[in-house]
Amino acid sequence: MNRSDSNKQSSSGEQEGAEIVYVKDNVAIHPTQYASERISGRLKLIKQGGSLLMTWIPYKGQSSSARLSEKDKSLYTIRAVPFSDVRSIRRHTPTLGWQYVIVVLSSGLAFPPLYFYNGGVREFLATIKHHAYLVRSADDANVFLVNDFQDPLQRTLSSLELPRAVSVTNTPSSAAAPSESPSSWTDGETFDRNSALAQQNARQRQKNNDPARDLSIQVLEKFSLVTRFARETTSQLFWEAQGDGFIPNDRRKHDKKTHDYPRIAESNNIQKLPEDVPVPEDPLEFDKVSLVWGKPRQPPLGIEEWSAFLDSEGRVTDSEEVRKRIFYGGVEQGLRKEVWPFLLGYHSYDSTYAEREYLVSVKKSEYETIKNQWKSISKEQAKRFTKFRERKGLIEKDVVRTDRSISFYDEDDSPNIKSLRDILLTYSFYNFDLGYCQGMSDLLSPILYVMGDESESFWCFVALMERLGPNFNRDQNGMHSQLFALSKLVELLDIPLHNYFKKNDCLNYFFCFRWVLIQFKREFEFEKTMRLWEVLWTHYKSEHLHLYVCVSILKRYRRKIIGEEMDFDTLLKFINELSGHIDLDAILRDAEALCICAGENGEACIPPGTPPSLPVDDASMYYQQDDDDVL
Amino acid sequence: MATSRNKNMNAKLVLLGDVGAGKSSLVLRFVKGQFIEFQESTIGAAFFSQTVALNDATVKFEIWDTAGQERYHSLAPMYYRGAAAAIIVYDITNQESFERAKKWVQELQAQGNSNMVMALTGNKADLLDARKVAAEEAQTYAQENGLFFMETSAKTAANVNDVFSEIAKRLPRLQPAQNPSGMVLMDGPAQTPATASCCS
Ligand SMILES: Nc1nc2c(ncn2[C@@H]2O[C@H](COP(=O)(O)OP(=O)(O)O)[C@@H](O)[C@H]2O)c(=O)[nH]1
Ligand SMILES: [Mg+2]
Repeated sequence: MNRSDSNKQSSSGEQEGAEIVYVKDNVAIHPTQYASERISGRLKLIKQGGSLLMTWIPYKGQSSSARLSEKDKSLYTIRAVPFSDVRSIRRHTPTLGWQYVIVVLSSGLAFPPLYFYNGGVREFLATIKHHAYLVRSADDANVFLVNDFQDPLQRTLSSLELPRAVSVTNTPSSAAAPSESPSSWTDGETFDRNSALAQQNARQRQKNNDPARDLSIQVLEKFSLVTRFARETTSQLFWEAQGDGFIPNDRRKHDKKTHDYPRIAESNNIQKLPEDVPVPEDPLEFDKVSLVWGKPRQPPLGIEEWSAFLDSEGRVTDSEEVRKRIFYGGVEQGLRKEVWPFLLGYHSYDSTYAEREYLVSVKKSEYETIKNQWKSISKEQAKRFTKFRERKGLIEKDVVRTDRSISFYDEDDSPNIKSLRDILLTYSFYNFDLGYCQGMSDLLSPILYVMGDESESFWCFVALMERLGPNFNRDQNGMHSQLFALSKLVELLDIPLHNYFKKNDCLNYFFCFRWVLIQFKREFEFEKTMRLWEVLWTHYKSEHLHLYVCVSILKRYRRKIIGEEMDFDTLLKFINELSGHIDLDAILRDAEALCICAGENGEACIPPGTPPSLPVDDASMYYQQDDDDVL
Repeated sequence: MATSRNKNMNAKLVLLGDVGAGKSSLVLRFVKGQFIEFQESTIGAAFFSQTVALNDATVKFEIWDTAGQERYHSLAPMYYRGAAAAIIVYDITNQESFERAKKWVQELQAQGNSNMVMALTGNKADLLDARKVAAEEAQTYAQENGLFFMETSAKTAANVNDVFSEIAKRLPRLQPAQNPSGMVLMDGPAQTPATASCCS
């Protein structure tokens, strides 16, 4: 099937039933600031089904420079990008030099400039116009907007508000960077350097009398982001090429992979380089632009494929690979019951069928024991047990209004509503300090729906609450750290939006409170929520993918937010009303891309211990007493 | 729009009260004329606006509906600070919700501005058989504390619009609508606490 093969499948760039509507040879990318270094290839527009795709495939075996290996070239390959993912195309017509275009994607990221050494830009644009919706921007004749049915002007403006990952500084060390030894850099420094390089690059263009130099500077700054992204993808590809990752059925051989494989692969490669190679010319160290990001979503994991992940005794042999698979496609509904306990950490991946069966039975009686603690409270006892009565009352109020539109819960005396109640009440005894808090019923409802069995649901919920419990702390510290991290991520990934929020006193990000508290439960329909959750629970790209999901939604609506000058209350209303209107697959792709772009700078925005990271091993520090009876 | 005439004003209003008292249902009834039997619990807060006409003037309410659970209490000041009006809701079938309402009144009196118009609302008035809080008791309490009192039913719509109109009548006529953010959260002094209460 297809996980690793977004490379493989599309490296040919063409599929059956496709019609090539435009071909241009000698369209080149300049991977470095040296004009002499270029990768030439063939640009095509392909019409397939109802959509128009663009590919750019470098030629084999004719490099302008010995440094550009075949592998490097394949990394720049543009593999079948649908125009529905393209936001705009900017045409550059320098007085001296070749015409080039920059293709900006809806995610805000851009491909590197494509230089048309044989001309043909006009024809390129005309062909697109013929097959997709393309309009010339009203305020800049060189900008062409794709798929833009309303308000092209604003769209142009927003397309220029490019993310900046780091502030571009001119520190001496950046300037001196080319002579430094590559191995002495941390990732972050390299990243800074890329920006410096981008700036250098931009200045060069300026000298060349580029009429669009301001834009170029921004675009090039953006490339530093792309570059960053690409370096990681690069190493990932490397790694996969080294293993036998292209054959999906061979997953089980991949036990050598570690969670951190991109970095490991990368450092291996760095070590192979001769010491004296100046890094700016090292394609592994900068401008390594692979043009696949936010990989297309895949069909969900099904039973057959899942079985192949298990050894004869039922161990998951390559949990990394399973998590990756689920990250990109989710799990089929029928299989969730089996897979979720692993994702949630209730079952460990290396347990056998027998071990799990045993655990389930032990846990079942443990559940019954805890449940009996409150079941055995008599009416008389309850009269003098205010906290219990309050808790029970609160839970009972909430379970009857949780997901009642789902048939699983729609009957008035549904046994499933009763199970919700029993589990939540039992949990409030299992974790008496945390107790019950509004929002928990939202988190439990899909779990019960999937697991069916009460005890199993309880333990899966317990596992989830290990991570999300701090969301419900009385002092809001779990929420605070996440909203804080979110503000830092927006600052990193969309500085204009950050500035906008700052100016409008929205930096507390409270308008995202519901998103974060219950993992977008209220934002998507039931099935979509389950899909999102299993993707988040893989912790595959990041433990905090949910924060990147927040950023990607905000970025998607940034034009509206800023354009309509929303203040805090309007924004909160707007965000609440987005519920049901968010395109999950698109958001997940963006979130992945943003996560990769942000890289370690992104992780540095997130304070240690921020949920859903597992808490430090001192529960007493973590939960405060439940003080619901104190006003 | 209401902003063009002088007699039109904006007013920030906040709903406070125990979980399940019917805050969200009252807002839904007032803003959309609907009632949902299984209204979801409110997570965080929700914001709505609705305009009421009053003789020749209008009041546009900017309504903050809050989560009732005590656990989220630390967030409440962010909503009531700077509010021109508050509706404190309890459930007439639930004595504890009435006790909780009194605590909200105390808190607002201690912290809020003295000009704030406060309404005490005994909701679920349609459930007469299950009544636990006598109307007289609430009425007396309201009088003693300078609130006005009404029993409502979000379900049958009884008195719902009346509560809002009554508040509109009692608002001090100070806020011309030219300042659209009038008494809302975005007022200068309201921001610092808003940030602090959420992120501290
Ligand atoms: N019978 C009756 N039920 C009501 C009324 N108002 C609200 N409810 C119900 O009480 C429950 C809680 O209402 P909700 O508005 O969510 O309360 P909130 O937590 O204060 O926002 C829901 O099931 C409502 O359907 C009412 O006037 N009459
Ligand atoms: Mg509510």
